[in-house]
Amino acid sequence: MKISVLVSALFLILGWNANAQDAMEILKKMDDVMYAPKDMSAVTKIVLIDKNGKEKVREATMSQKGTDKRLFRFTAPASQEGIATLSLPNDVMYLYLPSFGKERRISSSVKSQKFAGTDFSYDDMEAKPYAEKYTPKLLKTEGDTYVLELKPRSPKSAYSKLIVKVHKTNYYPTYMEYYDKGNHKVKEAVYQFEKIGEYWNAKEIKMTDLKKNHVTKMLMSNVKYDQGLTDDDFTVRKLKQ
Amino acid sequence: MFFKKMLNYKCISSFINDVKMKRINLIIIGAIALMFSANIAKAQDNANKLKFSGNLLTDERFLLQAPNDWAWNENRLTLELEKKFNNDKGKFYSEVWLRNIGLPRIYSNADLYNKNIIEPYNLEIREAYVQLYGFLTKNLDLKIGKQRIAWGTADKLNPTDNLNPYDLEDVLDFGRHRGSWALNLEYYFGRNFSIQAVYIPVFQPANLPIGIFAKALTPTIEMPPPFVLKGFTDEVLMPAFNLGESATAGAKFKGFAGGVDFSLSYVWGWDGFPIGTYTTITPADTFGEVNVNVQTSFFRQHIFGADLATSIGGVGVWAEAAAFLPENDVVMTTDFSAMLPPGAPGPGTEDSVVLKKEVFFKYVIGADYNFANGMYLNFQYMHGFINERGRDALNDYFFVQYQMKFFEDKLKITPVAGGFIVSDWGDIKNNYAIIYAPELSYMATDNLELNISAALFDGKGNNLFANFVDYNMLMFKVKYSF
Repeated sequence: MKISVLVSALFLILGWNANAQDAMEILKKMDDVMYAPKDMSAVTKIVLIDKNGKEKVREATMSQKGTDKRLFRFTAPASQEGIATLSLPNDVMYLYLPSFGKERRISSSVKSQKFAGTDFSYDDMEAKPYAEKYTPKLLKTEGDTYVLELKPRSPKSAYSKLIVKVHKTNYYPTYMEYYDKGNHKVKEAVYQFEKIGEYWNAKEIKMTDLKKNHVTKMLMSNVKYDQGLTDDDFTVRKLKQ
Repeated sequence: MFFKKMLNYKCISSFINDVKMKRINLIIIGAIALMFSANIAKAQDNANKLKFSGNLLTDERFLLQAPNDWAWNENRLTLELEKKFNNDKGKFYSEVWLRNIGLPRIYSNADLYNKNIIEPYNLEIREAYVQLYGFLTKNLDLKIGKQRIAWGTADKLNPTDNLNPYDLEDVLDFGRHRGSWALNLEYYFGRNFSIQAVYIPVFQPANLPIGIFAKALTPTIEMPPPFVLKGFTDEVLMPAFNLGESATAGAKFKGFAGGVDFSLSYVWGWDGFPIGTYTTITPADTFGEVNVNVQTSFFRQHIFGADLATSIGGVGVWAEAAAFLPENDVVMTTDFSAMLPPGAPGPGTEDSVVLKKEVFFKYVIGADYNFANGMYLNFQYMHGFINERGRDALNDYFFVQYQMKFFEDKLKITPVAGGFIVSDWGDIKNNYAIIYAPELSYMATDNLELNISAALFDGKGNNLFANFVDYNMLMFKVKYSF
């Protein structure tokens, strides 16, 4: 009897470990798909849609190297044109406002806020691999997706968990749910991916703030990968140009 | 013969056909090449064309105290021109202000013939420069022309920002500078370090407040009894306009290490505010009224600066300091010889040092934090305001701002904004000032901003903002960007 209990327990532990490894494996594969390119540049169109269906549009150019360097520069509307942000490793961020004529170091607390009035937080926009930020658990498979539950590793995260659906064959995310600290679902994101060369590109991400009934669509176009961008392209000097 | 003719004909016609085909091919190739080159040219044109942008601003203010005098009237058209060239390795930029500013000052019928008096206007080139990235070597940037060279990590209050002259026409917009015609070189060592050298050949002083603030920075003249001031005149002595006499030069070493942005700087130049150096007092009548003439001049100084900015535990932190060292004592000579009876002993003049040749420090420490709910808090402490000189004349300023954002940043409310000033810690209740400046800003459309704010003052004693206690005002601004 004792042996059978032990064996059952052993199988349970092994099964749990297998589940954890599978979940981590899936999550890492998802990171590999999302962050495979060495560098990337694109034109980004951000459409903000309020609860009455009224739309506002922002346009920007974006370039990224690896997972921790990004330069984002608004090109429209006129009131925001030229405003740029530079994100570097270790939470170093700069903001450039053309009217001030100089860069401003911004504190890492800004990451908890929404990015430029959108439904994405700076944290959401961060290109850090999910496997580094979250501990995954495989909940189930659903059609052609794996459903993972992600718990943040950092207590500073604004979320208590994420539920992510990952495409079984191509390992890109198709859908994400965001839960606040009270475990209420507050946002959901729908992804559309397309293949550009050897990489999967998120051509559209639709983020919905369920509480405010507000939607942000982020559309990428003119995407170019592996152009040989260097670290010199992600400096304060470049930010001010 | 016939066949030969036929053959020849066939050869000729095939030849002609060949030629025609080749010609057609050439035409097609030529047309395709033309299309490509036109597209390339168009793409280059689009990338390198002159870009117009700018904004239209209306800034209106009236005093809260009856009869609610109009305190400020400004209608400004800002035009920005920008053109990139040389494969984005160069840029031309210009910013011009066209303004109707001030109120009609009509005193006679003759004034009605002058539109400049009816609708005062001015045209100002704020900046106009050419910039080259990778000049001579890939790590060297060059900027020539009228430019704003903004130094310092603090917000708006920058003791190390001393290359450009202060633009104090709107004293509530402290921290504003005018551009300077300058040669500006910056050399980059790797990605984290740079050294900058600036040469400004022609000195330009600060411009002082206008309108109701016109006397804000002018010290009052008090005559000892029984004398009474009747007339006042002044003159300003400018530095000579030559290579050595009027130039300003500066250098700055900037770096990033251990998560901290820092810089060290040096400026050798003229202080932008003149100081009285010769005062002549003469009798105006026999009843004790006097005329005073003050001659003011500028003084040279060395300014050593340092600043840093970083983020600690999510809190943005910055500090900035500057050590000012006048080149010489600034001496005020008071000539009252005309007041003395004939034959009276003594030189009739008296010298006093108004600014010693000794170092005085101005500095700013600040911090800010962004809350997850979109709120923002900013705090700064400053020792020594922009117009204060000398160790004993520097006051202490505490500024705070708390901002709330709503409706995806469409509405911003700043219910807490202002400052507390102390000019004498030994007698605070008689030497203080309080500024309270709440603000509400609303983006009616993507490019149209409406702004309502107030400026309320209270204070006593010898400090700038205590002079504004009668100028509580309501402000309304509209800004459209294009």
